[in-house]
Amino acid sequence: MKRFSTKNRGRLGHYAQRYRFSITMTILAILLIGIVSAFSNDSTHRVGTAAAIEVKKDSLKSLAAFKTVYAVLQSPRCLNCHPSGDIPLQGDDNRLHAMFPKRGPEGKGMLTMKCANCHQSENTAGLKTPPGSADWHLPPANMKMVFEGRTAHELAKQLIDPKQNGNKDLKALIAHADDGLVKWGWDPGEGRTLPPFTHAEFKEAWITWLTTGAYAPGK
Amino acid sequence: MDTIRINKKEYTVAVDKEMPLLWFLRDHIGLTGTKYGCGVAQCGACVVHLDGEAVRSCVTKMKRVIGKEVVTIEGLSEKGDHPLQLAWKDVDVPQCGYCHAGQIMSAAVLLRERPDPTDEDIDDAMTGNICRCGTYTRIREAIHQASAMQKNGSR
Amino acid sequence: MKILAPFQKRKTETVNSEIFSVSRRDFLKVGGLLTGGLVLGVSFFSCDDKKKNVVTVAPNIYLSIASDGKVTIIAHRSEMGQGIRTSLPLVVADELGADWKKVAIVQAEGDKKYGDQNTDGSYSVRMFYRPMREAGAIARLLLIRAAAKEWQLPVEECDTENGQVIHRGSNKKKDFGELVETAQSLPIPKVEEIKLKDRKQFNMIGKETAIIDLHDIVTGKAVFGMDAVVEGMKIAVVKRCPVVGGMVKSFDDSKARAVPGVIKVLAIKGAGLPATLSKPLSGVAVIAENTWAAIKGRDLLEVEWDLGPNAAYDSAKQIEQLKLEVAKEGTIRRKRGDFNAAKTNAKKVIDHTYVAPYLAHATIEPPCALAIVKNGSCEVWACTQNPQGARDVVAEALGFAVEKVKMNVTLLGGGFGRKSKPDFIVEAAVLAKETGLPVKVLWTREDDIRHDYYHAMSVQRIVATIDSQNKLSGWAHHIAYPSISATEDLSVLQASDGELMQGATDFPYNVPAINVETHDAQAHLRIGWLRSVRNIPQVFAVATMLDEIAEARGVDAIAQALELLGEDRSITFEQELVKTTYPNYGEKIEDYPWDTGRMKKVIERVAKESGWGKTMPQGSGLGFAAHKSFLTYVACVVEVKVDQNQQVSIPNVYYAVDCGLAVNTDRIKSQFEGGAQFSASLALKSMITVKNGQVEQGNFDGYQIIRMPEAPQQIHVHIMDSDTKPTGVGEPPVPPFTPALCNAIYAATGKRIHTLPIDLKA
Repeated sequence: MKRFSTKNRGRLGHYAQRYRFSITMTILAILLIGIVSAFSNDSTHRVGTAAAIEVKKDSLKSLAAFKTVYAVLQSPRCLNCHPSGDIPLQGDDNRLHAMFPKRGPEGKGMLTMKCANCHQSENTAGLKTPPGSADWHLPPANMKMVFEGRTAHELAKQLIDPKQNGNKDLKALIAHADDGLVKWGWDPGEGRTLPPFTHAEFKEAWITWLTTGAYAPGK
Repeated sequence: MDTIRINKKEYTVAVDKEMPLLWFLRDHIGLTGTKYGCGVAQCGACVVHLDGEAVRSCVTKMKRVIGKEVVTIEGLSEKGDHPLQLAWKDVDVPQCGYCHAGQIMSAAVLLRERPDPTDEDIDDAMTGNICRCGTYTRIREAIHQASAMQKNGSR
Repeated sequence: MKILAPFQKRKTETVNSEIFSVSRRDFLKVGGLLTGGLVLGVSFFSCDDKKKNVVTVAPNIYLSIASDGKVTIIAHRSEMGQGIRTSLPLVVADELGADWKKVAIVQAEGDKKYGDQNTDGSYSVRMFYRPMREAGAIARLLLIRAAAKEWQLPVEECDTENGQVIHRGSNKKKDFGELVETAQSLPIPKVEEIKLKDRKQFNMIGKETAIIDLHDIVTGKAVFGMDAVVEGMKIAVVKRCPVVGGMVKSFDDSKARAVPGVIKVLAIKGAGLPATLSKPLSGVAVIAENTWAAIKGRDLLEVEWDLGPNAAYDSAKQIEQLKLEVAKEGTIRRKRGDFNAAKTNAKKVIDHTYVAPYLAHATIEPPCALAIVKNGSCEVWACTQNPQGARDVVAEALGFAVEKVKMNVTLLGGGFGRKSKPDFIVEAAVLAKETGLPVKVLWTREDDIRHDYYHAMSVQRIVATIDSQNKLSGWAHHIAYPSISATEDLSVLQASDGELMQGATDFPYNVPAINVETHDAQAHLRIGWLRSVRNIPQVFAVATMLDEIAEARGVDAIAQALELLGEDRSITFEQELVKTTYPNYGEKIEDYPWDTGRMKKVIERVAKESGWGKTMPQGSGLGFAAHKSFLTYVACVVEVKVDQNQQVSIPNVYYAVDCGLAVNTDRIKSQFEGGAQFSASLALKSMITVKNGQVEQGNFDGYQIIRMPEAPQQIHVHIMDSDTKPTGVGEPPVPPFTPALCNAIYAATGKRIHTLPIDLKA
């Protein structure tokens, strides 16, 4: 059924601009080109008034951790709800979501096609039924946090840019690893593949990446 | 006691809370206007309003519905005179008619949120409702007409 | 009892005499196993003329007039969206001169006394337009005679209008109701005595009439097969063998029985092979108090199957094999001139192979039937297109006399040919008999997609030759697909006469050499008929090839069609057919000739309405196709836009149709609107594939139906004015749309389509 997979784009074209880069090519690029720290020069990144989270810059450790992070974020379970357009994707082939529901201002769908109209607070039993989790949604329209088509370099920069990440500081970013919808990725219901690493591995890599300087792989 | 309000009437729920609302409506309280079409939220034949949202009752379990307000096609208007129902009749939209409860319930949410919808709004809102007979052009026309009726205060 | 495909049926039954001879006391004999306990929609089965002091007169089986003025008209054909519950009764009412507001429509049960009820093949209006007029005219004459008697005035001076008999000279008027008692004392007029109205006297025929079920539909009160309910009813959901012809070997129902609400688990005996057009598939039924429990129980069944000889079937492999097959010589079914000579002398040869997939009907209401068996009788409520056929098959399955089976017909949530087959009704009847319970068998969407009577996949090859004078000199059409007939008889390997008539042997164009050849293709699924049947793939191939030929010749596609149709005349095919007949959709060719003049007129009309020939912007194009099917002439122009992402949108569709005298113009238009959408689905979205003998799709995620954002946006339907005998419009809109779309895509992009569904990214 692959032949149907991309057929729905279209009239939805402006939502469906999609630039596909292979993960391996990106990783190759990391090795070949120089690297930059994503955070500013301070060796410690202080977060608001709350307890500071120690950042110990270590570019090698950081970049190694980001490989895991990137592989997970580019897996269908994460990428499909971080599309480049305003229509989520579905399936391991990242095809446009059938019936083309749109993001809406808050990322919760719009009009009759709000996410929760079909997606429940838990997975629906059976194959090819709507998956679910509490507060099923996409990133909001003013902070799209696109994963689809992003190189490792671009994604790393984007993840920690407060202007692009919903003003999340380090603490909030770390906490996001335990967000219910993020964790759903490892309990996606029947017939859906899991991300390439366990949630624990991901979380460890995520925190390591963030606390070692959040280095972005080279372009 | 677990109760829900359906079309302004209180019901006590004494069924498996995992049961989808669709089957409670159809099998237990005889509201057969809401249709089964796919069972997996693909076709929209089972759309009802749950606290005003156009949920697919085939995947909405009773445990989510308890304590809430449900409106089905039977309760959309008292006399079948919701602007959408009137417009649907005026345009003679249905062919077999099976999907139209779902179509109208979806369109009602659209009109509430976009009283004067564009064609693109209609596409966005009605894309979840399949009509196998292919009445799409008339559905669009009827929605525009209902919108005009609403604006002119004919209801 | 065999269920016949629409084109296998012959209109031999002369409806008139047979029907009108049926005793009028038979009108609406209500009775059944559970008449009191029924919880059906009020308006659908209402029969409230049993009210006190109301007397009725029934001039024939199709209508009765009550003393309160109400006219009850029987709808004996099944309503599945084509509007027949409105369009035939309005013919009766118009001829009678009734007040439509006082007309009640009652759906007939399945009974031979109503004449043919097998609702498919776009038959209803064609077959019953005249009998319905006669039914109305008989009643009209009866009421006029009653009034004339009461008034002591000549019959010839009286007329009917708006539910009254009137005498213009004296301005006397009497409501129909007031005349019932007098009418009861008069003999029923004979068909030979009536005079039908002139066309100019019609008030409803030829105009737009809204469907009678509108209010019930928009308020949720309409009763479909799914909605039939009786006291104490249980729900059955069946796990059927995933491979056609396979059988239940054993099953473990312990988990299923543990589901609260599950009552019984029973095996259903299947037909095996051949699968037949009427018998159930082998399976195991879970019967429960409610649908949810039945579905849950079914999911927990563990069944061991003997999958049978189709277990290795792979549809993609068969398609590849058939591509090789059509490259060879086949069985000649039509021959004109010498194609080989034409090919030898050709300046140019165009040779393409066309592939179209299996399709499922996917009626939005899946099959569903409710049955009760009690004291040696059976009563059924079902969304059936063929109530008499279903009744016969149920009687046979239960070992009952046909009279012991009552077949009530609900509204159908779509039919498209699926609900002509009564397998699902037999399931309900058999389960009701075995359990002694009222049982409703409900097919889930997955059941429907995976266990359909599929529209067969097809491989065709057309070789066209152009000679040195730039004329189309030769046409060879090679055809391979499993035949519908193979569902009853596995030894059938090639297309039947009735299938070939639909866009292959009926090739109407002036080409000096024509070969139509068929090739072997084994059936591995239940093959059935789907709205417009073989016209779909055959016209897809023929009309896209014609467009390619026009381009090769450097002529306009519409100009070429008019040229190849030649002068206005009636054409016949029989003389060129080889061991093949031309069934002409069940009609004699003398009654319904193939008239090139009528076809040319619809082509000219669609050219004019669509602005054919105008310059289109970059990425847009117009495409044309014309085809006569089910005796209705249709020409179609599709406008497409293709964007950089290869996404197709369809801003406009133009149709011109000659269906003879138009009965209900609004429903003709709606059938064309829906026909375009139906065709758009199959052209752009839908495909059934089979691996290991099992259908790979299961719901609308895999078997896609077009949705509003991608659907054709405006559909313009132009109905030719005509006095000729009316023909049906349910199916004829479907075939020409798809090739017109393909030709438009070529005009817009330069890409030729030879495979359905269209995939511009391939």
